[in-house]
Amino acid sequence: MSPQIALHDPIFRAYFFIVLISLAVGGTVLGFLRMVLKKDTASMFRTYWSWLVIAAIGLLVVFAGRIPTIVGVTLLGVYAFKEFARASGLYRDWWMTGVVYAGIITVGIASLVSHPRGEEPGTGWYGFFVAVPVFAIALILLIPILHNRARGELQRMSLAIVGFVYIGWMFGHLGFLANASNAYGFLCYIIFATAVSDVAAFTFGKIFGRHPLRSEISPNKTWEGAIGALAMSMILPWLLRFSFPFFGVRQLILTGLIVGIGGQLGDLSISVIKRDIGTKDMAATIPGHGGILDRIDSLIYAAPLFMHMAGYYYPLR
Amino acid sequence: MKRWRYDSANDVERTPLARLRQFPREPDMLVYGLRSLGALIIRALLRVYNRFEIVGHENLRTNRSLVIVANHCSHLDTLCLLAALPLRKLHRAFPAAASDYFFQSVPRLWIAAVIMNALPFARQIRVRKSLSLCQELLANPGTILIIFPEGTRSTTGEIREFKSGIGALVAGRDVAVVPCFIDGSFRAWPKGRRLPRPGKLRLVVGAPRNYRARNTDKIDICAIAAELRDAVNELRQKNGSH
Repeated sequence: MSPQIALHDPIFRAYFFIVLISLAVGGTVLGFLRMVLKKDTASMFRTYWSWLVIAAIGLLVVFAGRIPTIVGVTLLGVYAFKEFARASGLYRDWWMTGVVYAGIITVGIASLVSHPRGEEPGTGWYGFFVAVPVFAIALILLIPILHNRARGELQRMSLAIVGFVYIGWMFGHLGFLANASNAYGFLCYIIFATAVSDVAAFTFGKIFGRHPLRSEISPNKTWEGAIGALAMSMILPWLLRFSFPFFGVRQLILTGLIVGIGGQLGDLSISVIKRDIGTKDMAATIPGHGGILDRIDSLIYAAPLFMHMAGYYYPLR
Repeated sequence: MKRWRYDSANDVERTPLARLRQFPREPDMLVYGLRSLGALIIRALLRVYNRFEIVGHENLRTNRSLVIVANHCSHLDTLCLLAALPLRKLHRAFPAAASDYFFQSVPRLWIAAVIMNALPFARQIRVRKSLSLCQELLANPGTILIIFPEGTRSTTGEIREFKSGIGALVAGRDVAVVPCFIDGSFRAWPKGRRLPRPGKLRLVVGAPRNYRARNTDKIDICAIAAELRDAVNELRQKNGSH
């Protein structure tokens, strides 16, 4: 991955136009709702403007190449964990948060460097990448022992481990995907497809939504929205088959299920955390979306599943 | 199983800008890191560019709460006073900054909140509210307040009258008040100039005073303000500047 390659890469170029067209279609629909049907779309427009910024930054980072992508994903992970730590109160314990930050950065480094003995450079250190949680959790468990402190430590350790494994390491898989030989196809597809799935869930829910999906977790999600998003996610791998021309029918179906179900489970998982903490959003970083963590929640769940599915059937790098 | 209690930050659902504007600010590892780094750079620059020196350093060595009072003719004044404090006390030191000047535009807000750790002081309206905020902070041992009682930067280099608010803050309270005089900041970076000149800077730290025994009525408050101004003026004369 590099700007020169991206410029001539048919997959990246295709996605550039697909994103452009999708945003144009979205904008037109919103404009139609506002101008012709006179609906109140102010909040949707705020979300839409943020989508424009997100799309521009995302495309630019992937265009810039492998290192910017991994660094960008790592920074997003760090920031998302920060939001989690602030919302859960873990941020008051600087040793715990410090270790988790170090762990997330280590995940990024494992994706950047290559195996010290052999292996092709520029393809990441897969063995270490997969093993980072072992070291991070060992360090997290060490902190109360060093402090000679037990009261409330189980809660802190648990929050730190959930924060690191779920937000740091699992989301870090997105960065590791930049090492794949089919990096553009995988990265662009998984990011675009989870975004489409999110928008589809929202749209189907808004139009047909009747039956609450999980009333105790997220009152605004409906079965209709979930099924609409799943249907959309099942069609998408066929529509965008050029992203992974070597995928067979089984892999295409799995991809659809991972994005369609996994993405929504990721959304609900973060909702469970928010609901228990008692906050509506994790932060107010992105206007109309909430925090960074609220935006990447479906990717956190879907990206690692997708990467390991693809890695099981085909050599990833 | 009992439910866990989450001690969330109180600004979770605020935008990043609103977070910078609110006070007191939640502790933030990144902000503390940037502030410490900024302080190191500022200290090095002051030493090299302005040949900055401190007289009476020992008067600041305490773990109790402090109110530092100084003359004000330049933005360099705050930098000098902050540079006189140990790095670990930086995050508990709050220079009172005019909220109408420092807490409006985004770049100034960022510098005030992140680098300076400034306390937004409403100098036109709600002065009383700002003063009671200062008093709450001082109740916490180890707090350092930096206050320029002239209320704004002097445009002549002369020390203007001290506002009586400083008297109201310290009268009847067991808190150390340290008068300071900053020499050279008017020549180095006067109001209205874009960038500082490499002029010599000197900070003279006076002996701490205590106004615990004073009344909080109008007469005493104004008297304290005048006494503090005299103390700063005295440091100026002892320093031999003109």
